[in-house]
Amino acid sequence: MILRRDFVVGAVLIALAVAMIWGAQGFPRIRAMPYGPDLFPKIIAGGLILSALGIILEGLRNMRSGQADDSTTRGTITPLAALSFLGIVALVAGFALLLPVLGFHVAAALVLLCAVRIFGGNWVLAGIMAVFAPVVLHYIFYTVMRVVLPWGVLASYAW
Amino acid sequence: MDLIAIFTIVLEPRILGTILLCTLYGAFVGAMPGLTATMAVALLVPFTWFMDPVQAAAAIVATTTTAIFAGDISGALLKIPGTPASAAYVEDSFRLSQTGKPRTTLFTSLFASVCGGVIGVAILAYATPQLAQLSRSFSSDEAFWLATLGLSCAVFVGGPSVPRNFASLFIGLAVATIGIDVAVGHPRYTFGVLELYDGINFIPAMIGIFALSELLRNAALGRQTRLGKLVVEPLLVAIRAAWQEFCKRWVNVIRSASGGTVIGALPGAGADVAAWIAYAVSRRFSKTPEAYGRGHVEGIVDGGAANNAAVAGAWTPALVFGIPGDSVTAIAIGVLMMKGLTPGPDIFANDTVLVYTIFGSFFMANVLMLFTGGLAVALATQVLRVPRAVLMPLILLLSMIGGYAITGSVIAIWIILALGLLASGMIWASIPLAPAILGIVLGRIVEDNFMVSMMKARGDLTEFFARDTAAVLGTLTLLVWAALLLRAGWSFFGNRTSSK
Repeated sequence: MILRRDFVVGAVLIALAVAMIWGAQGFPRIRAMPYGPDLFPKIIAGGLILSALGIILEGLRNMRSGQADDSTTRGTITPLAALSFLGIVALVAGFALLLPVLGFHVAAALVLLCAVRIFGGNWVLAGIMAVFAPVVLHYIFYTVMRVVLPWGVLASYAW
Repeated sequence: MDLIAIFTIVLEPRILGTILLCTLYGAFVGAMPGLTATMAVALLVPFTWFMDPVQAAAAIVATTTTAIFAGDISGALLKIPGTPASAAYVEDSFRLSQTGKPRTTLFTSLFASVCGGVIGVAILAYATPQLAQLSRSFSSDEAFWLATLGLSCAVFVGGPSVPRNFASLFIGLAVATIGIDVAVGHPRYTFGVLELYDGINFIPAMIGIFALSELLRNAALGRQTRLGKLVVEPLLVAIRAAWQEFCKRWVNVIRSASGGTVIGALPGAGADVAAWIAYAVSRRFSKTPEAYGRGHVEGIVDGGAANNAAVAGAWTPALVFGIPGDSVTAIAIGVLMMKGLTPGPDIFANDTVLVYTIFGSFFMANVLMLFTGGLAVALATQVLRVPRAVLMPLILLLSMIGGYAITGSVIAIWIILALGLLASGMIWASIPLAPAILGIVLGRIVEDNFMVSMMKARGDLTEFFARDTAAVLGTLTLLVWAALLLRAGWSFFGNRTSSK
């Protein structure tokens, strides 16, 4: 049986709400105050649960009326598409981890090299972008806009 | 402030140059399929960080105004709306282009957009000071109801599914709870990360939601847009034909621009909703409704005027109440707050120059759009040939540096990633993004004002209805909630009855 998208969405929202309520249990209360820091998170969690139930009910209604699940009518996700998606996620995470260690130039060059390939460019284009774009962007942000970008392994060449 | 004083500021080389550059930038980003006006503004924010508030506001206004029009370019040539605001009439503009009139179609849309934008800013300049006067006596009770009403409106106009609109709103509010709470100063959901004590920084959040989610979608789709062979008319012939077409439809422009401004002022209803409604109204009043969707220029004029007027309309609640009318004004509020300015009625008294420069910038951006938008139309076929493999990686890198530049820490990049994934998940689940944005912006305001009011009233909830204005706003909010419940019930039980 294919799990309908509405049920997955509902379950995820309920899990998020339960996590919020569980997290709010440890918030301190002051006796003099009628409402504490746990009030809004609990209201929001309640709203998330009600919304999730509404989405599940919508899914049930559509299933009974024989309406196809949106996720199946949109077509399946190909392995290449999933890989491209995960590739971009990995690039962002990698940039966050490598920026303080390798510095802006090297981390940005690596990101561009991979990103150009993910978006369908060839190795020549990827190489050109990886060499020139970090230098131009570094000039704009570091020199013109005075953003303190880390130099990392190129610290000895810093100005 | 008089008109001469406003234009003296707007015509300063620094401001005028910013407006000119940003209209060019907006025209380029708006014309590219998959790059929205909000994304253009989100990517612009790191640069506004280094501008003074007047220049920053002018930059945002000019970028949005042109990007919304430029969305028509890829719509007409590729049948892919550059921004969602062009989707309502994309079928008409594409079909007209295929008949050998791409430039005439786009110039007609440009004239309608400029005129719509100017009408929008005229209404904005007239209405906002009056509303600000009215709201100057607001206390925390009224501020609470106003923010709640804004959130409720966002749910009301969000999309066809009420539970999904509510889910979006609560997701945004959940994000807003992260950080130190106003009641006792306790850190909530920060997991010991000190940088999260001040809450989720708004700018990386917007970059994640609007730029990264779009990049992820583009990567997954692997879409390559190809511009086929197109018959293009000579520029002057196209401009003349477009001007004649525009002059025939001036009533449509005035009607749609006025309606678009009002719709744009509703929190959560942006330029796209305004264009859809204007298009539907246009068809209803047209003598040839059967021609709509088959390459009819009337719908393009109405939609084009409405979406650009809505851009100005969205600034009304943003300036007067601090409640964003759309995602762009949500970012603009974030930018102004970073610069120590809090939008609201007091801004009219304390920062008159800023407010009136925004009006002047809107006007100037629309005038300059005649040239920069015209240039974009003339160069459209070249602009659309920029390879995706060059553009997307640069946007990815700019997004991350932009976030880093604001916070000076890699936490911004993690926020971009987390919220980009969240937005992608919401898009997959058909949950609209607009209510979540308002939730993130207004969550703190709602909670802070609620707590202040409750401390004053010692926990007595009826005090929220004690003042006249608060009672009116509270009743309005409750009516919107009742309408939402009715709509949800009707869509559930009504559909069930009809399906039997």
